[in-house]
This record gives sequence, C-alpha cells and structure tokens, in this order.
Amino acid sequence: MERSTGKADQKRSICGIRSLFPKTLCILLLTVFSVFSGAQESQGQESQGRVVYFAGSGNAPLDQHLIQLLRGELAPATSLIEITDDQLATLDSGPIISVGPAAFSRVRQANRSAPILAMLVDKSFISGFAERSPGQITGVLYNVPLIRQALTGKAILPQANKIALLATADSVELYEPLIDELPAYGMSARIFLVESNDNLISTLVRALGYGDFLLAAPDSAIYNPRTIKHILLTAYRRNQIVIGPTQAYVKAGSLASSYAPFPEMVEMAGSFLSTFFETGAYPEPSYPEEFRVEVNAQVARSLNIPLPSREDIATRVDRQLAINGEASDE
Amino acid sequence: MGDRRPLATCFGISLALSALLPATALGQTDTPDFMPGLLALEGEQSEIPEVLTTTRLRQSKLRVPGTTTIITGDMIRDLGIMNLVEAFRLVPGMVVGHWGSTNPVATYRGTSQYEQRRLQVQIDGRTAYRISLADVDWLGMPVALENIERIEVSRGPNSAAYGINAFLGSINIITRSPQDTAGVEAYTSVGSRGHLRTFTSVGDTDADKSWRLSYEKRKSNGFDSQIDGGQEIPFHDGHDINNFNFDSVFRIDRQHSVDVRAGVLDGVNEEDLEKSGKLGATTNPDIIMDDYYLHVRFDGATSPDHFYHIQASYQNQRQRQRWTVSAPAAEINALLPTGFPPFPEDQGPFIADLNEDLEETRQEIEFQDTIIFSDQFKLVSGVGYRKDSFNSETFFNGKGDNYQSRVFANAEYSPFRWLTFNAGGNWERTTTTDEDYFSPRAAANFILNNNHALRFVFSRAVRTPDAFEQNPDWSYTPTNVQPPFEALDGQRIKVEDILDPTTSTYGQELEEEWITSREISYFGQFHLESALLSVEVRYFNDDFHDMISGVINEEEWYIANNVDLEQEGVELETSLEFSGTKLRATYAYLEQEGRYTGDPAALPVDKQERAVDLMGRLSARDSGSFAWIQDLPMGFMTSAAMYWTNEVRNTRFERADFRLARRVDRTNYSYMLALTIQHYLNPKPWISPDNRIEDQNQFFVEAGIRF
Repeated sequence: MERSTGKADQKRSICGIRSLFPKTLCILLLTVFSVFSGAQESQGQESQGRVVYFAGSGNAPLDQHLIQLLRGELAPATSLIEITDDQLATLDSGPIISVGPAAFSRVRQANRSAPILAMLVDKSFISGFAERSPGQITGVLYNVPLIRQALTGKAILPQANKIALLATADSVELYEPLIDELPAYGMSARIFLVESNDNLISTLVRALGYGDFLLAAPDSAIYNPRTIKHILLTAYRRNQIVIGPTQAYVKAGSLASSYAPFPEMVEMAGSFLSTFFETGAYPEPSYPEEFRVEVNAQVARSLNIPLPSREDIATRVDRQLAINGEASDE
Repeated sequence: MGDRRPLATCFGISLALSALLPATALGQTDTPDFMPGLLALEGEQSEIPEVLTTTRLRQSKLRVPGTTTIITGDMIRDLGIMNLVEAFRLVPGMVVGHWGSTNPVATYRGTSQYEQRRLQVQIDGRTAYRISLADVDWLGMPVALENIERIEVSRGPNSAAYGINAFLGSINIITRSPQDTAGVEAYTSVGSRGHLRTFTSVGDTDADKSWRLSYEKRKSNGFDSQIDGGQEIPFHDGHDINNFNFDSVFRIDRQHSVDVRAGVLDGVNEEDLEKSGKLGATTNPDIIMDDYYLHVRFDGATSPDHFYHIQASYQNQRQRQRWTVSAPAAEINALLPTGFPPFPEDQGPFIADLNEDLEETRQEIEFQDTIIFSDQFKLVSGVGYRKDSFNSETFFNGKGDNYQSRVFANAEYSPFRWLTFNAGGNWERTTTTDEDYFSPRAAANFILNNNHALRFVFSRAVRTPDAFEQNPDWSYTPTNVQPPFEALDGQRIKVEDILDPTTSTYGQELEEEWITSREISYFGQFHLESALLSVEVRYFNDDFHDMISGVINEEEWYIANNVDLEQEGVELETSLEFSGTKLRATYAYLEQEGRYTGDPAALPVDKQERAVDLMGRLSARDSGSFAWIQDLPMGFMTSAAMYWTNEVRNTRFERADFRLARRVDRTNYSYMLALTIQHYLNPKPWISPDNRIEDQNQFFVEAGIRF
C-alpha cells in the first residue's frame, strides 16, 4: 500500500511541475492507457471467462485485505471485481465470492442461480445451502472443527481428558460429532444443557465440576459479548480454562483457540475457483488444511499454566489428528 | 507472512464482532467487552483471581516473592476433608492438632504453645485472627467448606503485606464469588464420633447483582474418651455450631462494584470439666459462641491499569463461658486478705459460679491502590486502620481498646523477562506497645523459560504481644455464691494474688518479637507429553529474637521476651496431573534450636528450659502428605490421602483417608454420593493422651445435590 501511494504522489508531482502542455499530455496518455487496459480486460473476459465477483462484508478494511490476498492468489488473467448490492441482480454469470453470512444471504437472495463461494462462514450456516445446490454453492469454512479445538485444549493441558460443553436445545447437535470422535483420542465430553439465560451460570458451575476444561463452540446463544466475561471469570475462579470459540474470544480472555489463517483460507478459495473454472462446479465446502493457534499468554500466566509455544500446540494437535486419521467433524 | 499475521488477527476480531453481534441481536454498547482489556488480568479480586495474594499484587507463582501453597476448595472436597482445619495438613510444614477439650490448632513451623499466635488468617481479606487473646478460633470460623474457592497459604513472614500478625505466614481463605454460585445447593455428611455437617445455599446472579445466602451446621462429639488417673472416662468435647453467611456483589458500572458480606454464627463449644475446668469446676465450662460480622468493599478502577478498593468491616465475637466451682472452705479462708473474718469450715464447701466471658470487637478500614505502570513495573500501596476492643470482667476487668495504623506498599519490577524484583514493606504503629515498626521484604526471582523460577527472598517481621499478655487485669468474680460465703458474691479474686510470686512477671511490659527470614526456593512446571508436573522446593533459614515464651495460668505467669531461636529446613510440594489422575505430595523437614536469653535470675533452670521447649511444642521435624485423586468411568471418583507428622510431644500422627464418590449429572441437576474412611495408622493419641479415638477406622457418608 505504501509503495503504490508513493508512486501516485510521484506521478502527481511530475504532472504538477509542467506547464499546460505536459499536463494535457499526461491526461491524454492516462486516458489512452485506461481505454486500452479496459479493452484488454474486456477481451480477456470474453476469451477466458475468468472474472470473479466479490461481494464484501461491508467491513472495508477486512474486504480490502481479502481482495488483496485474493488478487495475489488468483491467476494473473483472472479479474476480481468488487460489486455492490445493486449490481447483484444483473450478473448473469461468473463465480461470486461472498464474505460472511450476511453477504452470502444478500447474494443468494438477489441471484439464486449464481455460483457462490462463501468465505468466512461456519459449517452450520453453509452446509444446508451446499447440500441443496451441490457444485453451485460452496464455502471455505471459517469455524474450527471442534475436535481440533478439543485437542488444542489437550495440548495445553496434557492431563485433561474430560471436556465440559454448554449447549442450548438448538445448539446441542453442534457437539454431537465431537462426542463421537473424542473416545478415539482418549477423551470424553458431556453436554450441560442451558435451558434459559437465567440458569446459564448455575449450569456452568455444574459443568465446571465435571470437566477438566470448558470447550466453547461458536454458539452465540451461549457465548456472546453479554455472557462471555461472566463465563470466563467463573471458569477462571474455578481454575478451569476455556478453549475457543474463536480468535476474538482469545483476545477477550479465553485461553486459546485454533483458527484458520486468512492466507490458508484464500489459498483454498483459489483452489475452489480453479476447480470451478475447469469443471463448472465447486467442490464441497471444506476446512483449510492448516490451522494456527491463538493463545492468551497473560491468562495462562495468571492461572499458572505453562504454555507451550503456539507452533508447538498446533504441531501437537496436527500430530494427534494424523495419528488417529483426520476424523474431524466434517 | 510475519507482517501479515497481526493484521489478519485484527481483521479476524473485526469479523467476529460483525458476525456475532447481529446474530445475537445485541446492541453496539456491548462491543467494548470484546476489546483486549475485557479482563483486567492484573486486577484485584474482582478479576481473574487465580494468582497469589502474597504481596497484595496479583502475581503468578513465577513472580511472587515467596512460597505459596494453594489448596483449592475442590481438592478439599475431593479428598473428603471434613472440617476446615484439617485442610492445613496439605500444607508443607503445618501441624494440625487439638488442645484442651478438642480445640483445633494449626501452626506453621511450630513456635506455638497452644494458641495460634503467629499466623495471620483472613477470610476474603477480612482479619479472622482474634487479636486480643492472640488466637484463631477454627471451630468458630465463619466460613463453610462448600463456600471455599481456595486457600492461599503464604509460607514465610508476610508482615510486609499483612502486618504484625503475619509473623510466620498468612492464610487467606477466599470464598466463592456469589457470581459463581447461582442456583441451589444442598449437602450433608454424617459420620463417626457424631460428625454431622449440613450445608444449604441459595443464590442468583445477573449482570448487575449477585447474591448468596448459605447456612451450615457443624456438629461433632469430639474425641471418644480421655484418660484420667489411668482410667478412660467420657470426654465432653464436642461442638454444635450454626453459621449463616450472606455474600453479594453489586455492579455499579463497568469499573465500580460493591461487595457486601455479612454473617452470624452461634453455637456451643463443649469444654470438659476434667480437662478444662478451672478452680474446682463442678460443671462443664462450655463456651457459648455468638458472633457476627459485616464486611463492605468498594472496588473501583480509573483504567485497566489503575484500580483500588476500600473495605471496611465490623466484627463482634462474644463468648460466654460459665461454670460452677466448689472449693473447701479452708482454701477460701487461706486466700482471704488479712482482717477479713474467716468463713466456718464445717458448713460445706464454697460453691459459686465463675466465668470467662469475653467480647471482642474489631473495626477495620483499609484503602489499597494498584497501578500497573507497565508489564515491567507494578505498584500496590495502601493504608489501614484497625480498632480492637475487648470487654471482659475476668481478663481485663472491663473494657479496653487497641489501635493500629499502617501503611504498606510493594513494587514489582521486571527489568528483563528472566528477572523480577519485589520490594515491599509495612509500617505499623500500635498502641499495644506504643511503638511503630517496619517490616520489609525484598526478593529476586530468576525466571527461566517462563516455567521455572529461582527465588531469593529476605524478610523481617514483627509480632507485638497481645492485649492480655501486655495488660492483664485477670480476676474471677464469684456469683450465685452459696451460704455461708455470700460475702464473696461480686468480690474480685485477683489471679495476681495467687500466682507463684518467685517467678511471676505479671504486668511487666513486653516488647515485640522479631524474625529475620531468608529463603531460597525453586518453582518449576514441566509440560510433559501427557502430564503436567509442578515442583516447588523451599529452603529457609530464620532467626527469631526476643520471642515471648513462658507459662500463663492461674498459678504461674512467667512470660517474657526470653527466647531466641534459629531454625532452618526444607519443604517440598509437588504435583503430577495426567489423564484422570492427580497426584500431590508434600514434605517438610525442620531443625530448630532455641536458647534462653532472659534474665538468668528470673527463672529457675527448669523453667528456663521449659520456656525454650514451649517454642518447639508444635514443631515437627518431619511431616508430609500424599494425595491421589482418580477419576473413574461412570462418574466415579476415588481418592486416597496419607498424612503424617513426626513428631510432636513424643506422638506421631499417621492417617490414611480413602474416599469413593460418584457424581451424576442430570439435565437439571447434579448429585453426588460419597463414602470416606479415615484409617488411623497409629492408634496412639495425637499430641495429647486425651485425644483418644477408639476405632482406628472412622466412617463418613456424604450426599450433595446442586440445581
């Protein structure tokens, strides 16, 4: 960004010190260049059909960051064009990358036939759409497989083997694959059902009495800005750690969470698009191959928990998964 | 890649927020909760508390200037420990026993006679130590085991943080926050020797307020029997105590909250006339307890790096101890002052009621301020004021007050990741001696790999004599005097007049005691492939000067600053946790050498030796514990614990506890059933020949439910 800004400044200064003629020449040259390049783009589109549309989340820094990464990932001949909501309905072809669940919903409502690659969506959100429209809808999953989160907890607390889970009646199915997978890793989990907000803490206290740590899934009915502080403090007062649900919660005070790094997600998006261009259909929604671990070292220090390095934790998790086969909850 | 990661992290947070908030239909006002400063990690008790209170700064074990044992409430419950004082057997170097009619005593590194004089005990920062008679009433401690979150025992002088009484260490009992105990809980345990404990608690919590009301009953018949003249006779030494506690937290806004705690405790501590009866007691001098307290604390913060609290407490402890005495008329006549007409000696003995009623009141206020200048430099400082009032016709001939003012501070400075310095001190002025004292502490912690610390600690601490030692006005005033001795009704019989005059130091002014302590300790955590190993080893070398030793009873009073002690030892605390298994072991070795430093002419040699011996009366050369907690399938859990202390007054304590528990979690409730067996490996009574337990196996059954 800094370098390109510098060039623009330089270009302006060159134009600025000339008289009217050079200025006119500059404008002319720029106009010619832009017309030429526009024509080239148009020719490329027609000859290769390599246009990818981008429906952003509305969070400008996030969208720009993703666009930058995607442009670096996509083949040079492939164009990435940012589109607005108004333009959605008029698109007749070309894959659309949507960012976040809201953008996906907007795109889907505006154009039900569009092939959409959803980024930054959870498995629970996108899998229904993908099953109904195989090949047309896919996603690079943003949430972390719960077995990976569980093993992240075990990598930090190697002695842990019992995991406490909080769920509502609506979210209980989130955890079912995990409960089936855990015995293969010598672990077990129990779900404590939170019937209403009023009994969240009393249920949590019982859950903490059971588990070696609390595993939080992206279940906004339980883990949300209003509840998270109380949950974390209650757990820490009982000397129990909380793993997950996302990187953001680690900043907020959760001890650790695995997360899918953006470059990995973008790389997978590039691979999905290549498949789409070659076959006309997307692969199924999938998790990135590589995960990293975010830790809150200050929380660990406060709890007297010796923390392996982030890389070490990720390696331990990968090793465990490799030993037992990547039996994630996909 | 390296440059992109923080950016990606930042965007990840933004995304999480944008994705999360609409889904939960929460307003933007909640978003600040997701800022990194959500939890004031270095904050006081309102925030993450699983760090140590040794210096009043929230510190990890790596940075704390001293050795601290943490006993969690869960550990106490999982090991089937049936009363609070027994939990201290898990602390290296602590000796737990009973004196008199089963009055519990817990000491760290001895130097105790009977009363526990040199350990500060606090409950949630409120002093629980009984100042005026320098004792800790473990039976009347207003805290239920179920409400204990954890107990922090700072081993080593801690006067630099907590003042005069933290001479050998400090115990801070931290109860569960009412924010964490919403719901209903009920528990009961019954067992050998009339053990009964019931606990019920109800509470609720929401964003602005949390509260808990709990009730606990503790009952025991005490030991089975005592020995008198070689004969086993019944022992009247039980207790029956009711304890109500109310705890609440009111959140004013994100940075201010108020804790209000209150409690009422009443009950009876049975005292046996044969064992504890005085002056010809013919009835049991049972102690009727009637205590209450109110504790208010205001927590505030001006920023995540600057927070403070003001706390005030009022406590009242009233004990009523009355009994009937009978003495031959001739003995009474011998005590009469000259000129007083003697009583007839053929009309039966002198019969009257005596008492040791005592009321102690404590008012305490404290302000503490913490500033986190940076991760490298943190400062806690504060001021405190305490008024200790006593009212006892017997011990003080009325009312009296003592006042203490203090200023304290501790700075933590970490110039490098591998090095932390702590320097702190407490300046205190007390009217007990009308002098002021400064208790400093300095420490350097060398930290390796974030998991190992080598500490060098130097500290000095002071203990002042208690009000009774310093200003006694001890007498007994007979009431309900039977004929023909009515003339003595309401007359003060001064103990001073019946003391052995050749050795008496009654009323002589005492000075403070001093300890200089040096510690080298290592704390390390080893992150093994499938286990976590923690090791803490402590070497200490202490010099005690001007220790107050001697005897206080109705016949002899010879206490003085007359003993110097030198002691050194090693303590080990280690734990190993792996899947489903927790192992923990402690060991303490102590060598103690004392010498009489008082006036050689003041006491005969045997009493000089006794004064020195009394300092080591509860000092055990070897002691330790081993605990094993094992999770089993189907919610079963077993635990085994072994405690030994070798030896005190030629007795050894050796006991193994076994517990089998099952916990069942249902949708709306969880319940627990447990059976505990305490097996006394050594059938010989511990500390006193009267502490007799007939069956080496003691059984306890527990049941609990939580909604």
